[in-house]
Amino acid sequence: MSPELIRIIIEATIDTLHMVLVAGGLGTLFGLPLGVFLATSKRDELFPAPALNTVLGVVVNITRSTPFIILVVAIVPFTRLIAGTSIGTAAAIVPLTVAATPFIARIVEGAIREVDQGLVEAARAMGATPLQIVRKVLVPEALPAIVLGLTLAAVSLLGFSAMVGAVGGGGLGDLGIRYGYQRFMPEVMAIVVAVLVILVQSVQTFGDALARRLNKRLRHA
Amino acid sequence: MTAAVALSSASLDGATKLASVPQDARREEAAITLAGVGKTYAARDGAAEVSALHDIHLAVPRGRILGVIGPSGAGKSTLIRLVNGLERPTRGRIALFGRDVTALDESGWRRERRRIGMIFQHFNLLSSRTAFDNIALPLEIAGVSRGEIETRVTKLLELVGLTDKRLRYPAELSGGQKQRVGIARALATEPAILLCDEATSALDPDTTRSILQLLKRINRELGVTILLITHEIPVIKEICDEVAVIEDGRIIEAGPVFDVLTRPAHATTARFVEGVTSVELPAHLRAALRSEPFPASLAVLRIGFAGPHAATPVISRLSTTLGLDINILAGRIDAIGEQPFGSLIVAAPGDIASLGATLAALHVLGLRVEQLGFIAAPPAMPARSPCEEVSDVA
Ligand SMILES: Nc1ncnc2c1ncn2[C@@H]1O[C@H](COP(=O)(O)OP(=O)(O)O)[C@@H](O)[C@H]1O
Ligand SMILES: [Mg+2]
Repeated sequence: MSPELIRIIIEATIDTLHMVLVAGGLGTLFGLPLGVFLATSKRDELFPAPALNTVLGVVVNITRSTPFIILVVAIVPFTRLIAGTSIGTAAAIVPLTVAATPFIARIVEGAIREVDQGLVEAARAMGATPLQIVRKVLVPEALPAIVLGLTLAAVSLLGFSAMVGAVGGGGLGDLGIRYGYQRFMPEVMAIVVAVLVILVQSVQTFGDALARRLNKRLRHA
Repeated sequence: MTAAVALSSASLDGATKLASVPQDARREEAAITLAGVGKTYAARDGAAEVSALHDIHLAVPRGRILGVIGPSGAGKSTLIRLVNGLERPTRGRIALFGRDVTALDESGWRRERRRIGMIFQHFNLLSSRTAFDNIALPLEIAGVSRGEIETRVTKLLELVGLTDKRLRYPAELSGGQKQRVGIARALATEPAILLCDEATSALDPDTTRSILQLLKRINRELGVTILLITHEIPVIKEICDEVAVIEDGRIIEAGPVFDVLTRPAHATTARFVEGVTSVELPAHLRAALRSEPFPASLAVLRIGFAGPHAATPVISRLSTTLGLDINILAGRIDAIGEQPFGSLIVAAPGDIASLGATLAALHVLGLRVEQLGFIAAPPAMPARSPCEEVSDVA
């Protein structure tokens, strides 16, 4: 394998990591509060706003049920508005973030709904404000589940990021299609797949370990 | 709000004297007062509305321990949650230390709750925080400084005997230790009132006893007024000064624990009390029991003791003054606070003259007597005989 090819593979890997990290980071930034809100805004909950809860729920579901490749195309005008272009790594981050946000929001919502209501009750009995309950009780208690969910989101984003390669997004997917498929270099395709497998495996291992560290529920003294 | 308060401190007067009450405390405003309180949960999601509480009048005197006992679904949790505003009453008024809190808004209640601790059946500790950090939580919420938190939590850990578990997570603690953390957490903001919702129902009997002793110490040493709810009579017996019995959302009986437990006026109370205070005839004697006297039969009597009479050597006195052979078949003597109570089942000569004399003598002593029936005298009754079933006779 030529040094040139190795350089290209390394660059593509960096591009992929760049897209996944930025989209994952932004997705968490938007998805975490959205998820918390979805989990706490039904009737009689901490921030009751049932109408808004329903509307946001529908929006989240629509985004989540749209196939990613269609989402990419459908939001091109929005992508142009944000990134100034619809092609390349920077542009790919926009649809990736749009896909990651509702995904992460649902994960966070689920993790928070799993928190024992008795803890909310105890915090209320201490005189905690709803915001204090979120910050000091709900999020810390849900954290192990949230970390596992974010791991899942990162793995999905790796897959999606390979897909944006098909529409000019850059990264490993793009490399695999241009070299492996169009120029018929099966060894490049194989390397791309191998790198993706290693990335997924690493993310999963790291996420599992972190979640286990954070989970104080199953400790063996 | 002084109107119609079922458990006013005045009811402590009379036959029962609870030595630990300072005289002047009786005149002060109660710590918790509920007057004509009702609670109806609105209908929702297809479920009909639920009337959980009706016309509740209750006063918890300052510095005392009041227990509310009742079967599951009676409205106990609803009642206790009204006291710290986790639920709002649909009728009536609630006052804390004489201050009406019925109309407080949520932020007013938040401030109020810092003066009211609460502990729970399932402890409700944060699994992600150590014992120390769990106890620190209410202080963090109240905006207490780090240094102050360190000092106070250290003292609290000492108070509940968990200094060595400071950095343990709840998953590493036993049920009793978890409840101790819960108690320390509830006391962190130095509340005047402690609410206990079935705080020992998830614990084994030994642990229950040690937690109850801790609560009693907190009440006596820190002067914290305690309102606790339970479905277990032993909890009431062990630490409460007063008790209210609740059924179907109504308080059906209330008063000093000794009075209510030894002289239950309501059938439900009697059923609750039965297990701990009364005593049953051993099965083989129950089978031999007849309702009419017959030649040489012995009368079987259940004698209820309450208060000072339990201490008097009733049986030996009867035997000596009347010259009759009286045998104890079964018995149980217990105490609430320092006051003994209990019951004995005895066999006394069943002929009309002897029985009449026995009943009269017991009556003079002010004891409650119930005639259960008649049994045949054992062939040759040994001097101190069929006592195998006697338990706990002090
Ligand atoms: N949040 C609620 N919404 C509707 N009904 C409730 C609610 N909480 C309690 N109830 C009902 O009120 C009644 C009393 O419940 P509760 O106070 O929990 O009783 P206890 O603690 O004595 O078991 C029950 O019939 C229960 O189903
Ligand atoms: Mg209950």
